[in-house]
Amino acid sequence: MSIRNRAAIAGVGQTEFSKDSGRSTLRMALEAILEALDDAGLRPEDVDSIVKMSANDDIYEIDLLRNLNLRNLRYFNEVPHGGGAACGTIASAVAAVTSGMADVVVTFRSLNERSERRFGETTVGGGVGHWRQYYFPHGLVTPAQWVAIHGQRYLHAYGATTEDLGRVSVLLRKHAATNPHAMMYARPITLEDHQNSRWIAEPLRLLDCCLDTDGACAVIVTSAEKAKTLKGVPAYITAATQGTGSRAEMMTSYQRADLGRLEESEAAARELWRVAEMRPEDMDVIQIYDPFTPMVLLQLEAYGFAKPGGAPALFRDGSLELGGRWPMNTHGGHLGDGYLHGFSHIVEGVRQLRGTAVNQVINPKTCLVTSGVGVPTSAIVLSKEAS
Amino acid sequence: MSEGVPLPYPARDRDTTPFWEAQDRHELCFQRCAQCGHVRYPVGPLCPECRSFDFEWSQSSGKGVIYSYTVVRHQTHPAFPAPYTVLLVELEEGPRLIAQLRAPEGAAFGVGTRVSIAWEDHPKQALPVFAIDGAAP
Repeated sequence: MSIRNRAAIAGVGQTEFSKDSGRSTLRMALEAILEALDDAGLRPEDVDSIVKMSANDDIYEIDLLRNLNLRNLRYFNEVPHGGGAACGTIASAVAAVTSGMADVVVTFRSLNERSERRFGETTVGGGVGHWRQYYFPHGLVTPAQWVAIHGQRYLHAYGATTEDLGRVSVLLRKHAATNPHAMMYARPITLEDHQNSRWIAEPLRLLDCCLDTDGACAVIVTSAEKAKTLKGVPAYITAATQGTGSRAEMMTSYQRADLGRLEESEAAARELWRVAEMRPEDMDVIQIYDPFTPMVLLQLEAYGFAKPGGAPALFRDGSLELGGRWPMNTHGGHLGDGYLHGFSHIVEGVRQLRGTAVNQVINPKTCLVTSGVGVPTSAIVLSKEAS
Repeated sequence: MSEGVPLPYPARDRDTTPFWEAQDRHELCFQRCAQCGHVRYPVGPLCPECRSFDFEWSQSSGKGVIYSYTVVRHQTHPAFPAPYTVLLVELEEGPRLIAQLRAPEGAAFGVGTRVSIAWEDHPKQALPVFAIDGAAP
């Protein structure tokens, strides 16, 4: 039986995004979860399930259980592989809700990624295991450096330039500039600003890289049937999936046939469009996971919004602007709003369909949300109506 | 390399130890499947093509072409003073290897440039680097 439109996001919550939250990730998670439950018209007593991202997180299910004084959790689960897990938590929640294993599922992400533990930081001294043993000894030690290898190959394969990367950044900062919640509110950039920003790891400049952010988001998933009876306007989950690729590692995967493509995202796209019974052309707004600018181009091609090598043109012809065919990352994304490991993209997708977004698109009925790239990934399609 | 700050070194395990021991002898060796001949990398117990556990170690020519690269200009680790260039080299045997470029300042290179392996010794692990073919390193 298909999961198509049988579950819904009933509530969303979000703290402020900043460089220093001044409080614990647990405290922020609780704030976001309570806001999301209130948004849905539910109480903590209604929660019987938690699904969370497992990477770089020290909040355990029992911490939430204890602080919120939850009743018995019938179903809890963790999704691995960093930012690839964000929509994966929704997929797992849908599986739980549609199979009857859970009634009300809490998913969340809470990070003090700027003030406490930065993802790009590397450990000094000691041995390096797993796939990293092939890269760290050679000085390839951060996500920006790993992704630079893919980015350079993409530019070579399609004759793209760093200005094509810059246009991604300019669009995201444009959307953030009119979003008061965004860390880069009222701070738009020009292509010249991008080209003048310092190199990090060629072909990536500072303005090709996402922000470091403190903040939290939470999302409540329940059955479509129940969601219709609640206070919160539901966003129906039309499709939810995870996806993997060949010769997989975390963000490197350098042995696979073509590094100018994203196999995980292509796999997720195939399953997503099949389950949704939709095509890229049917999307009214899109929220694309954006850790570094090349990964936005690769995803737009993987999900079918452009042919291989064709994504840069979408930034030149206005397709991804607020008035364009597929308004993209309307909150400003990870480069403008803040880096919440893909969760803020889900929250923004729900707000767009409800008509309550800051940079509101005119009456969107469908939204694609994608998660982390170059890792086992995930994606969802949300709909305003369950038709 | 920066003096005094040790490089991150590979934590050898029961699968990868022979790979790293060979590098200490200045040999780049890959696993070649004894059943189907597939050369695999990274190191692993099973052939992903035919799922045979049987393999032999076979030495690479160390010759290949640059598949991609990055010039790291923002330093993130004390053992690696920026700038430095990291190559992804597609070797004649098939696997792609990450290693640093050793070339004179301003040397021309790019995707497709032919390179050959050289070796540098470090306290815990000898590591390969690449030099541009036909150029003095």
